[in-house]
Parts: sequence; structure tokens; C-alpha cells
Amino acid sequence: MIARRALLPAALLASGTARAAAGPARIVSVGGAITEAAFALGAGGQVAAVDTTSRFPPPVQGLPQIGYMRALAPEGLIALRPDLLLLSDEAGPVQALAVLRAAGLPIATIRDGAGPGAAEAKIRAVAAALGLAGEPVASAVAADWQALDAPIAALPRRLRALFVLSATRGAPLASGRDTHADAMLRAAGAENVLGDFAGYRPLSAEAAATLAPEVIVMMDHTIGEAGGIDALLAIPALAVTPAAATRRVVAVEGSYALGFGPRAAQARRDLTRLLHPGIALPELPARPWA
Amino acid sequence: MGVSLSLASARGIPPRVMALALGTVVLLAAMLAGILLGPARISPGGFLAVLQDLLGIAPLPDAFLRDAAVLGVIRAPRVLLGALVGAGLGVAGATMQGLFRNPLADPGLIGVSAGAALAAVAAIVLGGTVFGTAAGLLGLWLLPAAAFCGGLLATYAMERLGSVGGGADVATLLLAGVAVNAIATALTGVLIFMADDRQARDITFWTLGSLSGARWAHLPVLLVLVGLPMLILCTLARPLNALILGEAEAFHLGLRVDAAKRAAILLSAVAVAAGVGFTGLIGFVGLVVPHLLRLGFGADHRIVLPGSALLGAALLILADLAARSLAAPAELPVGVVTALLGAPFFLWLLRQRMAGAGP
Amino acid sequence: MIAAESIGFSAGGRVLLADITLTLVPGAVLAVIGPNGAGKSTLLRLLAGELRPSRGNITLDSVPLSAMAPLALARRRAVVAQSAALAFPMRVQEVVGLGRLPWHGSRAAVRDDAATGAALHRVGIAHLARRQYQTLSGGERQRVQLARAFAQLDGAARPAALLLDEPTASLDVAHAAALLRALRALAAEGIAVLAVMHDLNEAHFVADRVLVLSEGRPVALGPPEEALAPTLLAPVYGLPFQALPDGGLLPEYGAIPGRGFAPPGPTPPGG
Repeated sequence: MIARRALLPAALLASGTARAAAGPARIVSVGGAITEAAFALGAGGQVAAVDTTSRFPPPVQGLPQIGYMRALAPEGLIALRPDLLLLSDEAGPVQALAVLRAAGLPIATIRDGAGPGAAEAKIRAVAAALGLAGEPVASAVAADWQALDAPIAALPRRLRALFVLSATRGAPLASGRDTHADAMLRAAGAENVLGDFAGYRPLSAEAAATLAPEVIVMMDHTIGEAGGIDALLAIPALAVTPAAATRRVVAVEGSYALGFGPRAAQARRDLTRLLHPGIALPELPARPWA
Repeated sequence: MGVSLSLASARGIPPRVMALALGTVVLLAAMLAGILLGPARISPGGFLAVLQDLLGIAPLPDAFLRDAAVLGVIRAPRVLLGALVGAGLGVAGATMQGLFRNPLADPGLIGVSAGAALAAVAAIVLGGTVFGTAAGLLGLWLLPAAAFCGGLLATYAMERLGSVGGGADVATLLLAGVAVNAIATALTGVLIFMADDRQARDITFWTLGSLSGARWAHLPVLLVLVGLPMLILCTLARPLNALILGEAEAFHLGLRVDAAKRAAILLSAVAVAAGVGFTGLIGFVGLVVPHLLRLGFGADHRIVLPGSALLGAALLILADLAARSLAAPAELPVGVVTALLGAPFFLWLLRQRMAGAGP
Repeated sequence: MIAAESIGFSAGGRVLLADITLTLVPGAVLAVIGPNGAGKSTLLRLLAGELRPSRGNITLDSVPLSAMAPLALARRRAVVAQSAALAFPMRVQEVVGLGRLPWHGSRAAVRDDAATGAALHRVGIAHLARRQYQTLSGGERQRVQLARAFAQLDGAARPAALLLDEPTASLDVAHAAALLRALRALAAEGIAVLAVMHDLNEAHFVADRVLVLSEGRPVALGPPEEALAPTLLAPVYGLPFQALPDGGLLPEYGAIPGRGFAPPGPTPPGG
């Protein structure tokens, strides 16, 4: 058979000098919130390459791009000579991950969840993978998040909101439950009008009229792709909504508002203010990562 | 068409020998390029060290562990996967064109791609729920196994629908193929509607094809499921040659036309469906490669079939090399590369045909 | 040789052929004539084994065609159909060489190249051997197909049969005459020839016997002098014929409007 060492170098790459007490020297980070967490933990200098969903903090924009996180390239990743691959559990395809594991690349898979507690869990997991103390950052993020709980819970009612993922062709694609958008709408004192459906669903005009959202939330770049607010509100499925009548469209930056990374509390604060103008929210302390 | 042919005949070498020798050289060169080149640079020293370790001459120094991983775990299985899948697509394409007597035919006509896509999409969307038990049992093999079965079932359905009362004329088979494709595509649409965002993106990438999941464990399976039908298909060269004259003429020349058709269709489906399961859909290899052979060496299927295997393998290896390298450290879907190469060629072919069909 | 015994053929509820009984005789040429739609090509396809008769039996040396493997049949009879178009470009030599397919794996295969060459010479197209079939004229293609059939019968056990569907259709008179002579020469070697024809004079020239078909039924089967009698053919074609001194036939087309007679359009005043 073909030589055992050439074929089975698993764990050999992982061992040795790289993972000494100093932590990994070259990290490839896949997943926006995970990259943010690595930077927030002070490991930004070691990040050698990122995927297309990693857009913050600004230094990542100068780093080599490994492409879309669900189409990973085994050889491309190995060519970067990382001694740790920080991987969102959203990354794939599974076949390529199997090749990477067989090739012996050290991989830490981080759960890329959403909702209360997701951000600090992510930070703790990244810290553990990097061999760093994550508690200060994690608890600060948790404290900031919890500081917003009481005033949001005290809102007289939940605002009926619809999150539109894209509206460039055909029926707009809207977020149901079990999505990051749904989690953030709930956290910001809104009710997801599409909460009865799981995942992303094309929205018909009739359904939209029945759901009657008071506000439409979108990622800022998708509004541009749809041709601006006027073109957007002319789409039948959106034109029939109360939100269109009052022209209440809220634009958020996707990786910021939906990432559930270190800036989750700030994103929650900002979205809450956009949805409920005039709400009194506590000032959050300045954080180096926000 | 003359250059290589006249070259061969000038020296008294039969075109068949010339074509297959040339094809073998091209394939070996492509394999070598596929092994040696790529975004992870391997120094000659690293390559030699790994080679020496393989041959048991000298143990691998620790400095070359990464090179060994790139060569042994990533590139070698990937090049071999590309060779097997490309060879299968090439032979199946040549068979389909010969069988349907149409230079624009490809394996998609017999429903195998659409059927495999439907099953693969089902595995992606329902893998965690409906097929939960199968997914747990098969793991990473669920998708290839599903695609293989789906492709075969669709082709079988097409073949049954298309052969009414024992006989199967080409026009009926083609229409049955259209119908099976339409049904499979519609059902795929239903599944895409049910898919969540992440699954929808997986489906998109699957339909663009990639060799990035290549593992040694896949190769013995493919060697059997692609290699065996390929060898048998190559023995259909004479029947396919007879079909160049026409179906009735093929019968006059002693061919059991319906049996040959059935064998050609089902064997092509096995070769394509097995490959597609591991790589996703890869277009244009099956269409373009047989044409290159015919342009260089004429229509004789004793050349076109084995030649398409060799050239299909070489083409997919090179397309994958481009896919790995052009956007490094990211990777282009290999189907995109083959389409970018193949589509202009296809257009050129159409124009040639239109010019040829003139007065 | 090939014998049909009161065969009939129906498709889609329509009777296309009925009550045909004939035997192909080695060494003789049988011409099948009749108006368009008379069932000539259907008869040829039945005798070739391509179609099964709905009634009656067709046998080759007393064995039913339906019981013979296509390959065994192909080693005893060749067929030249009407205007075969190739799916892919091929050289003339390769097309003629396809005639040797039935002999693959047999002892006769050693003669493949010789048989191909001989067939090319026989039909007078040796000079076209390296040409692309696609670039040939209709007449040249017809001769290539004939050479292919000749190659197929080279080395065939006798008696063997050659079935042709309108072999002279796209040939000029000189090439047609040459082809008919080649058919006679082949018959002289003990091959039974059946040719579906349109030109009655060619039938008269080449055939030992003529079968006249009309609406799927045999009207006459006999030597040309009998079967090609003007009185017999007139009702079949709905056209009078004039017998020529050498036994040939001249159809009387009758007056053609617009040519030297009344000009088209309204009748001129006083006319």
C-alpha cells in the first residue's frame, strides 16, 4: 500500500512547535462573528486569512480571502499553512471538511448560534480554541446584552416586523423562525410576523397582506440591489403591507446586526432604537471591539 | 481534421494506435500537472522526499509533512477522482452522441443528471429528517449513494417509458428523456422550496460541481462503478459505428439495435451517476471531448470511445487544476471552469453545423 | 432462398400489404414496381427482416426470418436503403468498410480490407476512397452505399440476397446503366437480387421477373414482357402506356396545361 506516513499525517501537523503555550501563530478564521471574536480576544495579529462573511474589524479587509464558507477549498486552506482553522459550524461542504481532517489540519469548530447568550458562548469557544482567557470579553458582552433586557421587556407591545433577506427577483425572501434575523428581531422588541414558518420563505402578496407587518427590516446592501426604497415598496408582496403605507423600512448592516458576535449588544441597541424611536436605553460602556 | 491523421498515416501508424498513444500521453501529462501544481507550492525536494517515502527508500523528514499531506491526502485522490469521473463523462458523452446520432447529445438527455440532482438535493434537504436513519448509517456516503440511485432510476424510467412494445426509436426515447427531466426538475424545485437558506446554497454549489471532497476511500468504488461500464461501453464501438449509417442500416448489418441501445443507455447512466454523486454536476466534458476526438481522428468509435475516456480524464484534471489555482486560496466550482471552456466551443460547433447545413 | 408465403402487413388498422407470395431466386433479379404508396418499400423492409409480417411467413432457406439472429441474417443478405445520411463525417473507405461489420470475429474477417477494396472497384468509386462521404453528390453516395452492400456479401455463404430500394433514384442515365450492369454481374455470381424501382424501362432492362404492386396487392408477377404489358399497367398508374419496339414502355403524359395550349388566366374573348 502507499506509505503510511504520506497518507496518514493526521495529528502530525497539529503536534510539534506550533501549539505551544503562545497559542497558534497562523489562524484561518471562517465565519464573521468568529473572526470578530478572535480579534476581540486580541488574536487579530495571528489571523492570516478569512472567508467572505468576515468583514469586521477593518484590518480583515486586507487579508487573503478563502472564499465562501460553504465552499471551502482544501488545498487553498493548506497552502496558507495555518496552524489552526477556526471554523463556524455553518462552514462546509462536509466532504471538504473530511479531506481537511484527513490531511491533519488542526480544526476548531465553533457553534455559530443566535439569540441571548449566543455571543458569549461563541467568544468562550474561540478563546478556548486559541488557548486564551475569554472570560473578560465574554462577560462584558453578556453584561452589555443584559443591560438592555429590562427596558425592552418593558415596551408596551411588540412591533410587528418582517425581515426581508432579498427582494431582487420574484417573491421577496423573508425570514421565518430559527434564523439569526428572527432571533435579533425578538431581542429588539419586535415580533417576527413570519414566526410560524421555519427558515427563509418566498413571501406571496396575499400572505404579506395577512401578516400585516408594521415595519420591514432589511440588510442595507439588499435595498440597493432591489433598486432603492421606492422600487422595493412597489413589489406587490411589500406594497400591500402597513409598513409600505408608512414607508417604515429599517436598514441594518448584515454582519453587524445578525452575526451575534462581540458587537451583539450594540447591534441589539441600535436595532431597538430604529424600531422603537424614543425608547430610553442605557448607555453601553465603550468597548475596544465595538 | 487532417494534421494528426496525415501525420499518422505518413509514417504508417494506424490512426487508432496514434490516437490512443497521444491520448495516453496527454492524460499522463495532465495527471503529472495535477499532482505537481496547485496553490500549495511543493518544492522539488519535497516531492522527492515524499516519493522516497512512498517507495520505502528513505523515511519522510518532518519538514515535508505538509507536502506529504498535500500530495497524498489532497492532490493524488483528487487527480484520480478527476480521471475516473472525466473518463466516465467522456465515454458516456461519446456513447450518447453515437446512440442518438446527434453531435449535440450528452448524458443529460437520458435523465441521469436530473435524476441524480433530484436525489442529491433530497439528500441535502431531507438528510437530517426524512432520511435520518440512512444519513446516520451512510454518513458522507449518503449523498453519492442517493445521487447514484436517483440517476439510475431516472434513466431506467426513461428507458421504460421510451420503449413501448419492445422497440425503442430514438425520437420516442428523447421525448421520454425530456419528460423524465421535466419531472425530476419539478420535484427538485419542490425540494428547493422546502430548503433553508444554507441548504439552498449547498444545492447551488452541488450543481456547479467540485472535486474538493476527493478521498482515497471513494476510488475503489468509482473504479468499479465507472471503470467497468466504461470498459463494456468501449466494446460497443462496432454497434455504434453501424448506427452512424442509421438504425435500419445497423440492423441490416447484423446488430441487435434495441439490445445495444439499452446496454449503451444503462451503462452510460451507471458511469455518470456514480461520478456525479461524488463531484456534483459537471457539464460540457461529455459534450466537447468526443468532438475533439472526431475532429482529430474521424468518427470511428473504436477511436472515439477509448479516446474520449483518456481525453475526458485529462480535461477534468486540468479543469480542476484551474479551479484550484485561479481563485486561490478559494476555489472555483469545477463545473464553472468546464462550462467556461465548453460553452464557447459548443457555440462554435453550432455555427459550424449551421454553415454545414447550408446549400 | 428468401421466400414469402401469402404475407400481409397491417399498421394502425390499415392494410399496407396483402397476399404477396414470392421467392427470391439466386442468380436472378426481381424488380418491384408500382405507384407511390403501393407498399414497395414496406415489402422490402419485410423481406429484410426489419418488419414482421402480420400474416404469412417469410423464410430464408426454410428458416423463418423471425427465428434468425440479426447477425446470421446479415451474413446472408445486404440491404441498400434510400439515401442514407451519416450521423458523423466519415471517409468513403470507412463507410464501405462498415459493410464488413457482420464478419467481425469470423474467419472471413481476414478478407475485410480486400473485400472493401474490391467493392470500391466494382462500383467504380475507388478514386473516391479517401473523400469525405458528406462532400459527395447524391449519385456518388448511392454508389458508396452499394459498395458497402457488396462488401457485406463478399464471402457470404450462397445463396445470398441483396435488397435495394430505388438504387438508381439519384443517378444519371449513364451511372444508372452502370449500376444495373453491376447488379446483373452480382446476380451472375449466384446472388438473389431484389430492387424496388420506379423506372419501368430500367426494370425491363435489368429484371428477370417483375412484381407489380398496386395498393398493397400484387397485380402481376412474371417476366418483364408479361408484367410490364401496357394494358396491365394503365389501370395501375392511371396513365396510358405505349409499347416500344424493343419491349420498352413510354408513358403518355397527355396534354400539359399552360404549355402551347390555352394560356393561364381568364379565357380570351371569343375563345
